[in-house]
Amino acid sequence: MRRLSLALVVLALTACSAAPPAGGTEERPAALRPRPQNVADPAVVASPSPQPRCDPLASYRPPAAMPAPGRMPAGSTMDRIVRRGRLVVGIDQNAYLLAYRDRTTGDLAGFEIDLAREISRALFGDPGRVQFRHITTQDRIPVLQRHEVDMVIRTVTMNCARWQQVNFSTEYLRARQRIVVNRGSGITSLDDVAARRGKVCATKGSTSIATIATIPGIGPVSTDSTLDCLVLLQQGQVDAVSTNDTILLGLVAQDPGTELVGPPLSSEPSGVGIPKENVDLVRFTNGVLDRLRSTGALARSYRRWLHALGPAPTPAAVYRD
Amino acid sequence: MLLDVPTRIAASPAAQRARTTPGLLTAITAGLVALGLLWSVAGLLAVGRRADRVDDVRTVSGPLSVHALDIYRSLSDADATAAAAFLGAGTETSALRTRYLDDVAEAGAAIASALRATSSANDPGRASENQLRLLAAGLPVYTGLVETARAYDRQQLPLGAAYLREASGLMRDTLLPAAQRLVTLETGRLADAQRRGADFPVPVLIAGLVLLLALAGAQAFLTRRTNRLINPGLAVASLATVVALVWFVVAVGSAVGNLNIGRESGSEQFTRLAEARVAVLQARADESLTLIARGDGRADERHYAEMLTGLIGNDGRGGLLGDVAAGPGADRAQVERIAGLAARWRALHDDVRELDDGGRYDEAVELASGPPSATFEQLDRALDEYVDATGHWFDARADQAAADLAGARTAVAGLGLLVLAAVVLGTRNRIGEYR
Repeated sequence: MRRLSLALVVLALTACSAAPPAGGTEERPAALRPRPQNVADPAVVASPSPQPRCDPLASYRPPAAMPAPGRMPAGSTMDRIVRRGRLVVGIDQNAYLLAYRDRTTGDLAGFEIDLAREISRALFGDPGRVQFRHITTQDRIPVLQRHEVDMVIRTVTMNCARWQQVNFSTEYLRARQRIVVNRGSGITSLDDVAARRGKVCATKGSTSIATIATIPGIGPVSTDSTLDCLVLLQQGQVDAVSTNDTILLGLVAQDPGTELVGPPLSSEPSGVGIPKENVDLVRFTNGVLDRLRSTGALARSYRRWLHALGPAPTPAAVYRD
Repeated sequence: MLLDVPTRIAASPAAQRARTTPGLLTAITAGLVALGLLWSVAGLLAVGRRADRVDDVRTVSGPLSVHALDIYRSLSDADATAAAAFLGAGTETSALRTRYLDDVAEAGAAIASALRATSSANDPGRASENQLRLLAAGLPVYTGLVETARAYDRQQLPLGAAYLREASGLMRDTLLPAAQRLVTLETGRLADAQRRGADFPVPVLIAGLVLLLALAGAQAFLTRRTNRLINPGLAVASLATVVALVWFVVAVGSAVGNLNIGRESGSEQFTRLAEARVAVLQARADESLTLIARGDGRADERHYAEMLTGLIGNDGRGGLLGDVAAGPGADRAQVERIAGLAARWRALHDDVRELDDGGRYDEAVELASGPPSATFEQLDRALDEYVDATGHWFDARADQAAADLAGARTAVAGLGLLVLAAVVLGTRNRIGEYR
């Protein structure tokens, strides 16, 4: 009965709306569809320059004996940092679980923040001597080239083009580029998105947006931050968000209405970015990473923050000399 | 002598009658009455037209400009307040929440009032109406985004900040520009109405002088014909015409002056001040958004610098407030005090940026909610009071202009009737003497 009356109401309503509006010269206003600021749709992606050949994972071997905290070799980059009294690290503040500000405590927290604090502990004997500088995806390499920070820990993918501009530590996190979609959307891979000629969002200046732009049938959309991509996904303005699964995990954790799907598109090794000139700091950082790997601290931190991605991959260190 | 001619050459009885003294007197009376009527009607029409324009200033263009400025201000304030509330560590204060809700209510009410007012205003191409429709459609979308931001923020999720940035982007890229276009349209229309109301009706003045001359001529004719020095009726009529003319010139002149002053030192200053207020509120939103963006806020910081430079210039004396101080009827001391507050705010803001850029985020947030926040509040309040005072002053000028014109209308109507009556009564006795 109730269903019948509902049907009648619906019928009556459609009948009403079908009638021409009384005396209406009024135009139907266009809906406002807001977008996050600085969205590029379609994204402008520079055609990838031919990658120089190298082993992107191979970094510099750590010193035979690591210096004790606070006693760095005179004249070294580490000595300069210790004298200054603080380690300046470029990070993200909006990557949930990797590096974000905990609203309860007001402190920064996440897997990458843990790593920065461990490097501070090795330098000063105190994990709290880090000055965090929040930087955007696009700024990751430039701030190193301008020596505005000592290092960047912000899921920088190690590749041969970037090795020309900066140095990397050994790999501390192995991520894979995947996609996040709305639950129930029926999309399980980028091929599905391509089939419906849909749009995929990634951040400006990332390796992810470059990968997406090469797939025919997909409209690449770029934003300043991965969070803006999630906003677009929630508002139905894109069909998927694609970047490292370690970052995507943070998106899914914020919106249970989304899910991480699809086969890995690529393997994205992350290393600590360090200015080209400071090879001594690269070796020192690799020493710290070695210790964190052997004591299991790196794996523990991974499990604490990123357990949803499965067991820690704990990438092994590869050295070039 | 010309006046002897009619007695000798008689053509027709009517022409003959017209050429006799009583006939001439009747013709003169008719001419004077016609001139008097012409002048009264022209004067009433001229005053009436100006009164309509002043009425338009007072009841349509003026209020519409005020609505437009209200929309502009309340939307900017909502943007600034939503961002400031977001920044408060933990939970937003109820004072900020109330202020945000008040802003939204005020913007909504002003949009509705302005939409109603545009229907009675001359709105070529529906330019104002289109802006208002865009604002009416955008405001609920904006508040929806802000509430989504709050909901995520309450769950301690960084996603909340992303929604707030989107809300602020909608406000800055779509809604505020629409409000600004509306302000430009409406203040332009107001200035136009003021200008059109403020031209002096010279033909009416000339008609009055012609009437005066005609009265004097008729008096001279009667003196010669009747050997009576003064015809009381014509004398009263002449006196009434002089009084009416002086009254008309003084009242309309005063109305014109009030409208001109109202436009120059009222509306124009008012618009500059409104721009200044919006610049302050935008900069306040920038300050909060830069901190909320956590590293992605360089564009907001640039915008802050732009707003403050636009407000007080690089030296703290130029910009919009410099123009206000240099404008007519400005309270220099007060404007300088406001510019001083803005300069102090900029200096305090630089301290916040130094802390944040140096990675001392918590201290930066704490400082931002301290002295810079208090200075912003003072600045906002001072500007608010000054804008109010300017607005009242402007209203008073328009009211005075309306009162002037009402006086002129009474004078022209009353004295015009008196002129007509006096002419008829004054000449009737003389005409009767010849029967």
